[in-house]
Amino acid sequence: METRRDGRWTVPLVSGLLIGTSLVTDVLTSVTWPGRLMMVAAAIVAGTPIVRNAIRALTARVVGIDLLVSVAATGAVVIGEYWEAAAVTFLFAIGHALETATLDRTRSALAELVAVAPDVAVVVRDGQQVEVPAGEVAVGERVLVKNGAKVPVDGEVVDGTGALDESSITGESIPVEKVAGDRVFAGTIAKGGFLQVRATGVGADTTLARIVHRVEEAQDAKARTQQFMDRFSAWYTPAIIVLALFAGLLTGDVVLGLTLLVIGCPGALVISIPVSIVAGIGRAAKDGMLIKGGEFLETSARITAVALDKTGTLTEGRPRLTDVVVLDAGSDRGEVLTWAARAEAGSEHPLARPILAAAASDGRSTPDLPERTEPVPGKGIAATADGRRVLVGNAALLDAYVVDTVDTVGAGQAAAGLAAAGRTPMIVAVDDRVLGVIAVADQVRPDAAGMVADLHAAGVSEVVMLTGDVQLVAEAIGRTTGVDEVHAGLLPEDKLDAVAALQRAGHVVAMVGDGVNDAPALATADIGVAMGAAGSAVAVETADIALMADDLHKLPEAVSLARRTVDNMRQNITIALATVAFLLLGVLLGGVTMAIGMLVHEASVLLVIANAMRLLQPAPAPSRPPADPAGTITTGADRTRSPAASAR
Amino acid sequence: MTTTTSPTTRTVLRAEGFSCPSCVSRIEKQVGRLPGVDDVKVRFASARVEVDHDPAVTSVDDLVAAVAQAGYTARPASF
Repeated sequence: METRRDGRWTVPLVSGLLIGTSLVTDVLTSVTWPGRLMMVAAAIVAGTPIVRNAIRALTARVVGIDLLVSVAATGAVVIGEYWEAAAVTFLFAIGHALETATLDRTRSALAELVAVAPDVAVVVRDGQQVEVPAGEVAVGERVLVKNGAKVPVDGEVVDGTGALDESSITGESIPVEKVAGDRVFAGTIAKGGFLQVRATGVGADTTLARIVHRVEEAQDAKARTQQFMDRFSAWYTPAIIVLALFAGLLTGDVVLGLTLLVIGCPGALVISIPVSIVAGIGRAAKDGMLIKGGEFLETSARITAVALDKTGTLTEGRPRLTDVVVLDAGSDRGEVLTWAARAEAGSEHPLARPILAAAASDGRSTPDLPERTEPVPGKGIAATADGRRVLVGNAALLDAYVVDTVDTVGAGQAAAGLAAAGRTPMIVAVDDRVLGVIAVADQVRPDAAGMVADLHAAGVSEVVMLTGDVQLVAEAIGRTTGVDEVHAGLLPEDKLDAVAALQRAGHVVAMVGDGVNDAPALATADIGVAMGAAGSAVAVETADIALMADDLHKLPEAVSLARRTVDNMRQNITIALATVAFLLLGVLLGGVTMAIGMLVHEASVLLVIANAMRLLQPAPAPSRPPADPAGTITTGADRTRSPAASAR
Repeated sequence: MTTTTSPTTRTVLRAEGFSCPSCVSRIEKQVGRLPGVDDVKVRFASARVEVDHDPAVTSVDDLVAAVAQAGYTARPASF
């Protein structure tokens, strides 16, 4: 139990040497006492720390594993089983030294996270650079981050440029460029450049501290399976002690009683599950995936359906102008765009921004606001600019304003064609002349299709897209990304219903959303997932799975890691229970001696630790077809300006 | 045992070498006996010791010493 690094192996080494010498002496001489003496010495060397720990535990009124081994070894010496006493104590000592060394390794992922916590910060006070402990920076102070240094606080870049290695937070190893206005996290490392940062979070109020805290809480949270194992081992050890007493007294066979004491050690039973969970959750945290605890790991491993909010998950969430169709013989592309931008200059609608941005990048500045702007709910916008009436909207808007003699059929057909391709079309008309049709679309994220394929590969049978957008747009994105089902035109409460319907169909559902208008659906889902959570304290604290980076591939990765961790737990439970059964049978049927009992017991403990450590290895990357960056689709806002439609 | 008037703080220690769950109760008893300590929680999986104590009566160093008494190395956590 001594954890002094340098002294860890001294006891088993000395004890082992004594045993070896004793065996050699027995072979070389016919006298038995020197060998016996050395065996007893070996037992005393290895047994003293065990007895000391047993006494310490007893003063704290705890009957521990050390007491069982102490009693068994002492009993063995008393009845003259010197070899057994030496073997039991030696094996226990060496096993214990190995356990301590390896068990800390399963916690290494978290230890590394704690280790990246910054110690010092360079702040500017009264124009001077001062070095202070990282925890003593005040919020609002200006902190300097030089090349190679750790970022000491959460904050916002106010000056300078630089690249930061954010792997400690997001699990992404490629450094991220930072410029003024960008957020930075404590515990990330400057890989070039020079940044001046205004502190927004210090010490325990940093993303890193929140991650460490969440991971620790998660590792301690007990899964249902573990509660069963804890109950079982709490019952097992006392039962074996009673059995040992009775067996010893009734049969008069002291060796049997002592052997039972040895196998009463609950070793692998109690650690089989925690080691898997600690290793699995630690591994996930290193890769930028926070899983709330063992319970959530178990649920995540059973996920069969994933519901995704479209905007910002499958698409960029930033609509761009994709088409300008000229219908009027006397106009050109630029003219159509300019008039559309003139009309939209005074608009608050989300669709105004991509039109204005496209006009600006074309060098067509939109100087002044139109004299009058009139949003027409569900139809578009009617504006007056330079004394002329500009219409931007759907066919219904044209019908409402334009005289009947004008032919709008061509415009309607062009708009329908664009809509069928999953874009949001708007007809542009000036006075009574239809100039053309423009279309806006959101971009599918390049790795969206790869993520859906990976989810299928990870054993998720239903990937479902939920969106408030119109059916045509949603279907176009559905085709591009390969999702199994598309539910369009949903309000927030409809998303909840969609999740509940999947659950009624027998699915275990994970919901990925931004947590704002998806909150009801996230709460209903079996597992609520937040993406790009590094910037949101709330997401880190509340999501069942928080993916720190805004990286789609982390989602299937989290699902398959959960499956691997739960498989690992099951393997460990099997090892632990099989060991108990084997030893009990072996003792009762004869054949398992004290030494063999201790050997099997220690071997099983080391086996479950070694098995759990496999989780710390990087996962094999799933093979993916290359992402298809093509595929353009529409924005999550159609042209309706009704209150109902704005709720998305 | 709790004296409601004393200003207690929560100190978290991160320990090394937790290898068996039976050491949990040992540390809890060992640290719990100290004067001024209201509550001790030992978390086996994450190897943490959470103590609610009155720092005027029992300092953080005393807590580290008590954990060392039970046979484990611990360090106070900065967050």
